[in-house]
Amino acid sequence: MSEVVRAVGLVKGYGEGARRVEVLQGLDLVVARGEMLAVVGPSGVGKSTLLHLLGLLDRPEAGELHLFGRSVGSLSVRERARWRNEKIGFVFQFHALLPEFTLEENVAMPRLIAGESQQQALAAARQLLASLGLSERCRHFPDELSGGEQQRGAVARALVGGPELLLADEPTGNLDAAAAEALFELLREIHLSRGLSSVIVTHNEALAGRCDRVLRLGRAA
Amino acid sequence: MGPTGLIAGRYLLGLKRRTHVAAVSAISFVAMALGAGALTLTLALLEGFQSTIRAELRESGVHARLRPRMGGALPPGPWLAQLRQRHPELEVRVVTATTVWAVSEHGAVPAALELDEAVTGVEINRVLAARLVLGVGSRLTVASPRTNLTPLGPVPVRRTFTVAEVRSSRPTEERAVIRTSPAMGAALVGGGAVQSVELRARDSHRAWEVASSVQGDVPEGVEVVSFQALNRPLLAALQLERAMIGLGVALVIVVAALNLLCNLALLAAEKRADVAILSALGLEPRAIFRLFLALGLGIGALGGVVGTGIGGALATLFDRTRLLPLPRGVFLLSHVPFRVTTGAVAVVIAISVAAALFASLAPARAAARRDVLEGLRYE
Repeated sequence: MSEVVRAVGLVKGYGEGARRVEVLQGLDLVVARGEMLAVVGPSGVGKSTLLHLLGLLDRPEAGELHLFGRSVGSLSVRERARWRNEKIGFVFQFHALLPEFTLEENVAMPRLIAGESQQQALAAARQLLASLGLSERCRHFPDELSGGEQQRGAVARALVGGPELLLADEPTGNLDAAAAEALFELLREIHLSRGLSSVIVTHNEALAGRCDRVLRLGRAA
Repeated sequence: MGPTGLIAGRYLLGLKRRTHVAAVSAISFVAMALGAGALTLTLALLEGFQSTIRAELRESGVHARLRPRMGGALPPGPWLAQLRQRHPELEVRVVTATTVWAVSEHGAVPAALELDEAVTGVEINRVLAARLVLGVGSRLTVASPRTNLTPLGPVPVRRTFTVAEVRSSRPTEERAVIRTSPAMGAALVGGGAVQSVELRARDSHRAWEVASSVQGDVPEGVEVVSFQALNRPLLAALQLERAMIGLGVALVIVVAALNLLCNLALLAAEKRADVAILSALGLEPRAIFRLFLALGLGIGALGGVVGTGIGGALATLFDRTRLLPLPRGVFLLSHVPFRVTTGAVAVVIAISVAAALFASLAPARAAARRDVLEGLRYE
């Protein structure tokens, strides 16, 4: 199987009647295994919506979405949750680390949700954080970390479960230029070293240009 | 520990990170503990009073009474002697009673005159002593409904006695009573007197069995009134009292549960971003439901258990140290009694757990059903 994502005629909008806003109108998309796809476009064109559909956080109103060779329309709520846990890694614009938990606990969370023991999950989290240069920050809480450290922590959390598909929603949007560059390089390295398929939503054209392919979304006429 | 327990525990105990969440949880915890403690203490107080009253009934009351089914006197025959012979474990007293007027310099009141072969002098109960201001050695005139015909017309039969003893009233006794021997009181008791036999087990703990043990030994026409039947109004009143007061105080737990419901709803709203992130990481809706259920039970049930423990400990302390004295001469008891029973503890804990569970259901269901994207946007 060479395709990780195949979307045909995806439709998604918000609101009803006169207030209805069509965001995605019959989007077709294929992401090959090992491909790094950048999604760019102005605000409100449906970049995040596309990511939510691919991440099984939302359902399309029409169209067909296949992930890992299987149609997701028939997945139960439980199966969708399991796929999010095992096959998909998320990186949000704002780190989205849980404030009551230390960095290592945050990173271990997907493995804990998968049913792994706390000891094993924390060990895996520490190992991953060490590889990202955050071993000194394992026991720190999110509000004790810099913006770059928080985002690297979020990347670690997205990777700890060994996903096949990495989805990142403006991961550098909240960082300064240097930190954004460093984080993008980290994502690229991880993408290559782990053989991931990645979909990265960004406003940064320069960073998008360094991806394998760029998908430009525009406003519907 | 799975993620649900870990997250619930961190939300509850993460005082350093999010003071207001932990503070709100602590308020709900304390409310549940107070409710459970108040209910435990109340039930212990009621049980203390009621068990004392029941013991007093057993110790000083009649355990069974034999009386004629149709009124009047008990049937003659050797059955009473045989009863005494067959049941040496019972004290058997034949009592003849009628209503008379008791007269002293302070007034006159109706009283029950009981002729009891076990009594030698004249004894009165405290009710009569209080009403006519009588004590040991006082002079008491008893006027019978029987009359003697005199040249001035019919005159009630009267006798004047010296009070030999003032005895404590029985727990249920509210009427004035005069007791004397059949020899001394025969002239006062007419044909309308009702005869009965009072039975008491020498071992008072067997009070409930006395009626059934003699049932087959009495002739037809004699009714055996059991200990339970003799005291039915009081026992029923005690049960009703316990149920109603217990129910009233249990409302404190209901109010605490409503407070818990509000706080959990607040917590669920505040944590909607966390819940959305956890959901994005693969936590199933039913696990989110369990998370908030665990939070509610953690706060409510634990509060209930702790409150029950504190209430039970206070009740035991109050009872053992006799911390709350009662005025002597007014009550039968010297102090307010408390008695903690396993049943009462189990009831309070069960009510606490049920209330906490009930209070957690709606917020847990709402949190589990909340839209993930809405939560992520909130974040």
